[in-house]
Amino acid sequence: MSRCQAVARPLARQLRPQCAIRPFTTGAARAAAAATEEVKQPSALDLDPNSVLPEFESDLIKAGKMPIGSRRRRVAMRTTASLPFEQLPYQAFQEARAILAADRQEKVAKIQEELEKIALLEKKDAALVKGGQAMKDTKLASLRRYVEQLKIQADINDPLVKKRFEDGLGDMDKPIYRHYAERKWRSYDYRLITQRIKQFNIVPDVLPKLDPVADVQLYFRQSKIPPGEIVDSLISENPPRLRVQVFNKGPRLVSLVVLDSDVPDVEKDAFSKRCHFLAANISLSPNDTSLPLSKIRADDQLAVPWLPPTAQKGSPYHRVGIYLLEQKPETKLDVAKLKELYASRDGFSLKSFRDKFSLTPVGFNMFRSVWDENTAGVMERHSVAGADVEFRPTRVHSLKPPVKPRGWEAKRQGPAYRHLWKYTKRIKGLSNARGWTKRR
Amino acid sequence: MASSTSITGLFSRLSLLSRNTTSTATATAAMTSTSTSRLFSTTSSSLARKAPPPAGGSAPKAVRRNRQAPKSENFFRIRTLRRNMFSPAPPPLRMARLRYLRHWTIHRAWQLFRRKQHEAIDKERSRMHAGMYNACEELRKTVGPGSRGEGYLYRVAMEKKGVYGLDGVPIEYARFQTDSPAKEAWNHEWKR
Repeated sequence: MSRCQAVARPLARQLRPQCAIRPFTTGAARAAAAATEEVKQPSALDLDPNSVLPEFESDLIKAGKMPIGSRRRRVAMRTTASLPFEQLPYQAFQEARAILAADRQEKVAKIQEELEKIALLEKKDAALVKGGQAMKDTKLASLRRYVEQLKIQADINDPLVKKRFEDGLGDMDKPIYRHYAERKWRSYDYRLITQRIKQFNIVPDVLPKLDPVADVQLYFRQSKIPPGEIVDSLISENPPRLRVQVFNKGPRLVSLVVLDSDVPDVEKDAFSKRCHFLAANISLSPNDTSLPLSKIRADDQLAVPWLPPTAQKGSPYHRVGIYLLEQKPETKLDVAKLKELYASRDGFSLKSFRDKFSLTPVGFNMFRSVWDENTAGVMERHSVAGADVEFRPTRVHSLKPPVKPRGWEAKRQGPAYRHLWKYTKRIKGLSNARGWTKRR
Repeated sequence: MASSTSITGLFSRLSLLSRNTTSTATATAAMTSTSTSRLFSTTSSSLARKAPPPAGGSAPKAVRRNRQAPKSENFFRIRTLRRNMFSPAPPPLRMARLRYLRHWTIHRAWQLFRRKQHEAIDKERSRMHAGMYNACEELRKTVGPGSRGEGYLYRVAMEKKGVYGLDGVPIEYARFQTDSPAKEAWNHEWKR
């Protein structure tokens, strides 16, 4: 025994719980103790698979719940389950939290410093700044951008923030949650949307340039529609609900256009566009994301009501795009003028709409519609003409000259090869072993 | 013909078999003899604890001569690399949510710590470099001790005596320094 153990022994003996005084014969007493243990009732903790004791495991398993984790862990959980996550007694974790907290303090101090700089610069007369008012504005903008960046940096290492974001409880008014949300969106949904823009030729056909910066998701009847999906016309009869997540601060006004860019135009033998929905002055902010089109009814918002997208029989699929255009800050569009301009839905040009009211496209989503068994009913209900028309693709003949039959057999058809005629019946495109196939 | 070969085969196999059986029999006999001579203790003697070697004192009897080539200074690093280069990747970390979150926290703190360390080292090095640069600049501008001209001390300080070995010169100076390679790269006709 080492020296220190020898010293500590009497102390340890004192601290150890004193064992109960036992009579000389222990057998009966032990039996009695066992008998008392048998009648122990399971407590609420014993009914929980996270903290069940070994003796109640079998009851729980019979009830269909498997105990979670090791017995050792379960015993630990009986007393420590109420510990909050950040106080869990793991040494490395706590050390790491201390480091991160110190870093956060640094960042916050830096933010203070930058804010003071901004205040100083704001107070300063533009004539005293080198470069004048333009340079002052540039400097202020860059300082503010840096402060925003620092705000994100201050919170980006916090596990609780990450957890809250993953649970969907993040407050989108705070820059860190917006940062996380944008990163998540850019990692997949943005790429998907840009791919749809490219593969469905939205960019040259509808707008010359379109780079979405807001997340727009499309829901028909509570089910999410992935971008580019072909939607049944019965489902798209009612207006969809949009979930719009913007990633920059503050409220803004947007206008919303739903545009079918593949309406067949028989007279011109071409395709034209048709506006299916047009609304303006819709207020959006990072925290309110739900945008049901059926709820936009106000006089200063709704310009053109919802018309169900329909595709006539035989026409190729119609690309129905949902375009979100941001208005200039603090400016409202005149909806009466919009109503007057776009009352006839046909021939709507999104580019001219954008230019006329100086809007910026920020969000995009799309679905497709084709002729299906419900389309005729939908068209009848909404008095859309053309349900009785079926388009047929015009035959495009090949520009190549006709080719004479080729091959060994075709060369040996003449009378010089009379002795081979029984072998020369299979000519590609003309005949096969069962006889003549080419229709005359 | 076929039958004869099969018979010879059979016989050969038989003979082999007999030889085998005899050998196994002897082996079993040897085993039984060893088992009878065993001590009362059932643990094998190889597992038993050995007496500690005598401390210091007498010269060790079995010094293993290292007959291999001397190991290079990087031997252990190379061995580790060789072992790890062709081994499969370790399995992915599988953690429950909160455990992963703790892992992530520690990872982030570690990255932050290392970043700060690197930045501190960088800063210190650039500070030292700037100090040396300023000192050299001062030397270059001073007018030397006594009758020496401007920059004498700088030239002396920049001398690289002993840097390339005692009385050595850099190998680049073994040839006359030119801007372009020679027209005739190698004079093959040259004789001493």
